[in-house]
Amino acid sequence: MIASRPALRSAFFLAPTLSIIWAFTAQAKTTTIDDSGTQALEPSVSMRWKTTAPSRSGTDNLMVGTTTIRVRINVTPWLRRSGRIYLDLPAQQPGPITASWIAQGRFLSGQVHSGNRTLLYAGPIASPFMEDVLKFQFSVDGALIRRPFPVTFHFEMDES
Amino acid sequence: MRTTPPLPGLPLPLPGLRRALIGAVLFGVAANTASAYTATLTPASPLMVYLQVGVGSFTNNYLNGGQPGNNTTINTVSATVASAVVGNGTAQPMTTNSTATQSYWDGYAYCSVPGQIYIGGFYRTTGAATAAAQVTANVPAALTDAAGDTIPFSKIRWTSSGNGDSGAEPFPAGAFVNGGVQNVGSMSSNTWNESCWTFSYLNNTVPPAGTFTGVVRYTLSAP
Repeated sequence: MIASRPALRSAFFLAPTLSIIWAFTAQAKTTTIDDSGTQALEPSVSMRWKTTAPSRSGTDNLMVGTTTIRVRINVTPWLRRSGRIYLDLPAQQPGPITASWIAQGRFLSGQVHSGNRTLLYAGPIASPFMEDVLKFQFSVDGALIRRPFPVTFHFEMDES
Repeated sequence: MRTTPPLPGLPLPLPGLRRALIGAVLFGVAANTASAYTATLTPASPLMVYLQVGVGSFTNNYLNGGQPGNNTTINTVSATVASAVVGNGTAQPMTTNSTATQSYWDGYAYCSVPGQIYIGGFYRTTGAATAAAQVTANVPAALTDAAGDTIPFSKIRWTSSGNGDSGAEPFPAGAFVNGGVQNVGSMSSNTWNESCWTFSYLNNTVPPAGTFTGVVRYTLSAP
């Protein structure tokens, strides 16, 4: 039965291929990166109405604020390896928050909604510390805030 | 009670050594600094109010990112009553020198001049919806002429509408009181509110001939 041989061969090669993919996925590891060297250039973020006047329906209540943060993360544990670095903005009070940023070249520019993370860097880790200056813009519904509140985010490394 | 399982290759009992090993593991976790960065977001100038009666100032329409400005213009609303009909009970329409026809919200031709005067505005505040802001009119007791004759302010009333409007107006129809502060409308927080007022003089008394004037001041009070 010569005609049946190709099918048999396909099955033979498929099994080990799937096994390799599974093993690769299982080894992925996410670690929070030490960002204790990160500094804000302004003490706090002044939030202002995105539009001075409200809409007739009262649904346009977005407040926005910008700040510049000098990000310095310690990637020594991953030196001379490759990895993917994410900016993670956990879900937190007072409610949904959006952060967008413009990087100066070391990291990627991007945007993240609370409860999610966005890729900041992918590639080899060639130095113990990675730095960039990010210009952030935070957006939050003005109906959710009345007084100053903290927004926490952190950096994560996915090892490859 | 939860117990620590024996470590592989270490026969029990060796409680002192096991505690030391556990301590070393805990120390290792603490030394691996895992940070989070915190930024403080502070509402700056969260309270804003804008009231326009007659002409106002806006750099652009709201829909185009307009910014409100100050305008010190005091508009007039007036009626000239012919001697033949003075006091006959037929209300006399009043006209304004205001040129404000368009809504600064979207540029829509909302009021018609000279028959109507625009009134509108907003107040912004952070947090959940609050009590409505109130618009009040500070009304003199009467209009007066040079000779000291008077016409009660209650002889002036207004209706409220707006081109394309349906439903209740935020600044409803009414009539002036004879001196005092009266409420003429309200604004829910973070909403744009506007109406067009059409004034009329009741003309149901016969005052002496003359020019009678009075100034009404409108105030927006936010909670």
